[in-house]
Amino acid sequence: LYPVLKFVFPPEREPEQVLLPLADYGSLEAGAIKNFVWGSKPGMLKKTAGGELIAFVSVCTHLDCNVAYLPEQKKFFCACHEGWYDENGVNIGGPPPKPLRRLIVITEGENLVIKPEGAA
Amino acid sequence: VNIKGAARTTWNWLDDRLGVRTVMDFLKHKPIPRNRHTPWMYTGSLILVFFGIQVLTGIMLAFYYRPTLEEANKSVGEIMTKVPLGWIIRSVHSWSATFMIAVVFIHLLGIWVLKSYRKPREMTWMSGVLLLVFTLAFGFTGYLLPWDALSLAATKVGTDIPRSIPVIGAWGTKFLRGGEDISGDTLSRFFSFHVSVLPLCLLAALALHVYLIQKLGMSLPVGADEEAEARRAIPFWPNFVYREAILWLALVGALVTIAVFLPPTLGKAADLMAPAPEGIKPEWYFLFLFQMLKIFPAKILFMTGDTVAVLLILLAAVLFFFLPLIDNKPAERKGKIITILAFLLVVYAVAMSVWSLQTPSKPEADKIVPAPQNIRESAAIYVFLGGIWLSVAVLTYLLRLKIKETDRLLEVGYFSSDKR
Repeated sequence: LYPVLKFVFPPEREPEQVLLPLADYGSLEAGAIKNFVWGSKPGMLKKTAGGELIAFVSVCTHLDCNVAYLPEQKKFFCACHEGWYDENGVNIGGPPPKPLRRLIVITEGENLVIKPEGAA
Repeated sequence: VNIKGAARTTWNWLDDRLGVRTVMDFLKHKPIPRNRHTPWMYTGSLILVFFGIQVLTGIMLAFYYRPTLEEANKSVGEIMTKVPLGWIIRSVHSWSATFMIAVVFIHLLGIWVLKSYRKPREMTWMSGVLLLVFTLAFGFTGYLLPWDALSLAATKVGTDIPRSIPVIGAWGTKFLRGGEDISGDTLSRFFSFHVSVLPLCLLAALALHVYLIQKLGMSLPVGADEEAEARRAIPFWPNFVYREAILWLALVGALVTIAVFLPPTLGKAADLMAPAPEGIKPEWYFLFLFQMLKIFPAKILFMTGDTVAVLLILLAAVLFFFLPLIDNKPAERKGKIITILAFLLVVYAVAMSVWSLQTPSKPEADKIVPAPQNIRESAAIYVFLGGIWLSVAVLTYLLRLKIKETDRLLEVGYFSSDKR
């Protein structure tokens, strides 16, 4: 039975880190968003009004749909069950139980290094 | 020269080995009660008719469908635009699923209201609930296969639902997806579920279900006068089958007509990184669950809203499965509460579905809307539909003659056992 279970449940693959070229991603305007790929999930890089770079896994914490960023309202929106997050990814409306998952952004030479929280 | 004799010899040869006559004899003596609840008894075979259509059109679609990330959406697009009449086959497959599930719900409601699940038919009900689960699973897995934005979002949500179940849930999600996230592996897994795992499961449950129905016979309504019912009853074969056949023909005609005029569309290939499209909805038979997940708040006491919702749904499913053991009153007790409960459930499901439809869907740009490709093809389709309805009319006429004839034979006692 063990080999069958091993076969049926493939191992998890979360990236240890993702490198984003500073040339492409460093020049974000304040409040703007840029998408990147976090393993098999979409990620979003955002420059806050204060000029700090923050990153999210842009997947709804309710039932896993990909969220969209609505720049006019400065909110993240999940169309599946109408979930809302504020500009910092904190859940503010609808069914989502948790804020969007945050990732750590570190500048290293020519690249931005994106890592899971707690890996730094 | 002696074709009749040869046919008879062949028939006898086959009968000696297969025992066809034994089966036919059994069916000739299987009584179908005739009372105001008889209409419910047409639903079972109707489900089988639509299932048969699903098997047939499904095999045909599988000739051209390719279950990979790159090809799935493309191949469905080709079925709809390049394969001759492919769009009709896909449309019939999609509509027949809807018809089948609708009749399954009606069938279920009938059994529930008539309390036909009571002793000794508890296991018939339970195998029926399994059939319901497999049927809905067919719908769910089939929905992903065209691989457009809608089907991806629906599958993301659907496969994430098990995760809300404490302890074992995450494994369920991983099993369904073939990993942490939806990927090409999910697609091939769903294809394999849809075309091999579920058909095997469904056929096994169906065999048990049909066997039990034959073994136990048709149930009589609560408080029926058994002797009077026995006098009024008609044999399954041929009297009842002829009646059923008229309904089969009419509904297959309706199915093909709707399939021609309202074919399902196909959106652009799904993008795993794109946000979910606005106003998405699952298939109509999941709408009430969808709305329930939507309105549950983020936190209820110490649990998240979706965990509460999913646990409630699971509890309801378990109670539903064990209904015959919960309502285990003797067959002649009315069970009004159970009937009211069925009524409330229907009202609940309809209300939630209607509510969920209040959010408008955003029409998607660039989708493939199938249609006849030129005047010749559309003319041919009208001729084809005309032909179908003409044959439905002619066959119905002939069947009505047969019904009259067999009913007369029944009245004069031609089918009674001493004449065997």
